[in-house]
Amino acid sequence: MILVDGLVALGAVVIGLLATLGRLVRFAGAALGRVVAPPWYPGQILQQMLVIGWFSLPVVGLTALFTGSALAQQIFIGGSRFNAASTVPAVTVIGVVRELGPVLGGLMVAGRVASAMAAELGTMRVTEQIDALVTLRTDPLRWLVVPRLVAAVLVMPILVLVSNALGVMGGWLLATQRLGFNSAQYLATTARYLEADDVVSSLVKAAVFGFFIALMGCYHGYHSGGGAAGVGRATTNAVVSSFILILLSNLIITVIVFGS
Amino acid sequence: MIPRIAISGLAKAFGPKRVLAGVDLAVMPGESLVIIGGSGTGKSVLLKCILGLVRADSGSILIDGAEVQGLKGAALARHQAGIGMLFQGGALFDSLPVWRNVSFALSGSAAARRAAAIENLARVGLGEDVADLKPAALSGGMQKRVALARAIAARPPIIFFDEPTTGLDPIMADVINRLIRSLVSDLRITALTITHDMASVRRVADKVAMLHGGQIIWQDAVDAIDHSGNAYVDQFIHGRAEGPIAMPVAKP
Repeated sequence: MILVDGLVALGAVVIGLLATLGRLVRFAGAALGRVVAPPWYPGQILQQMLVIGWFSLPVVGLTALFTGSALAQQIFIGGSRFNAASTVPAVTVIGVVRELGPVLGGLMVAGRVASAMAAELGTMRVTEQIDALVTLRTDPLRWLVVPRLVAAVLVMPILVLVSNALGVMGGWLLATQRLGFNSAQYLATTARYLEADDVVSSLVKAAVFGFFIALMGCYHGYHSGGGAAGVGRATTNAVVSSFILILLSNLIITVIVFGS
Repeated sequence: MIPRIAISGLAKAFGPKRVLAGVDLAVMPGESLVIIGGSGTGKSVLLKCILGLVRADSGSILIDGAEVQGLKGAALARHQAGIGMLFQGGALFDSLPVWRNVSFALSGSAAARRAAAIENLARVGLGEDVADLKPAALSGGMQKRVALARAIAARPPIIFFDEPTTGLDPIMADVINRLIRSLVSDLRITALTITHDMASVRRVADKVAMLHGGQIIWQDAVDAIDHSGNAYVDQFIHGRAEGPIAMPVAKP
């Protein structure tokens, strides 16, 4: 009997997860269908690019700068144990561009933007502003969701480029100011070990992360209900789910691009 | 004459809770019908079913003789474009200034839309000075009037008013009621209002219908409401706790 009850509970959980996945896929499909067909709202897209990109620059930049520095310090300490301290510039640039730049940038933007999107759309849902859009001849998915998705996919690669540059700069600063590296040599080694694939994979990851951040923020906000508590839940779910999707998709892309 | 809105046998349940259980209703062109009923009796759900925001389980909704139940995509959007709505809380867009809220559904240049917004604001007694303010800078009554200006801006043939006076003081509520009445008469709009404010009913309605237990249990001209002969209507309009409408109140 306990086994049967357990199986029933497990089945309910699985069905619930599949139903959620189905709703999410339908939502994403409906939004993507509107991305490729007019009407579009360029003003909304530009505004979202500003909100997502420009206003995220300080937090993403500082995160990259500090983490790049810390990474260089750790590589120096670790490398010194087997006479490989000179690998600091090469390993730092690979680590930053392939992993830390896009992943930390994605996580910081997710924390800042997915939560804000979920809170804004959730508030619009509970105050009937989304219903009002419908009565004002405006498709809410086109007005609210498509601009956020497009803007996030477009600006995340730019943000990650900046993040990568600042991460490498952080490593260079620490290495030259504290660890005794020669500045010109450090930069030359960095350039020698940085490959096109590293940059391309970084940008692809950034675009994918941007899509998931906007999708999760919009999906949870758009479907929130239950007043202030519902908006709070939507915000939490948007951040947690975008974190998970960023880390999972990062692993998948890394294995596909660099696994062979 | 074909009714502008004709509803028959409309039913809607949320899980085990049956909210609408066979609503029959007709609103003629240019008529102002007010639906009264207690909280939670399905008045808002009825409006949302007609608007296509909520899909009814069964029944028929005809607008100018054409079935709108089950419409999807562009056809649903066309149907929704013909209905303006004043939402209970106003539902103004916080991020946009007043003039952009009012002209949201209008097309044309920014200057033309702004001019149209100012004209509609004047209709509801608001001056140009509020046009560039954000909704948060306005009082509740002013927000309601801006929402009213927005609802009429595109001159839809039908407007729904969802609890138009909720949260307003009696004087401002009367201002809003008079505005609704004059707009409905001047613009020859078919109006469907839901409220439990009896002052609003008497000021706005040509006809009144009472929704209870998921059905319209009484409807007639507004003048007939005080001698309806219906115990439910009598209890409701006099706001008595005792009567056939049982309120689920737990005793201490």
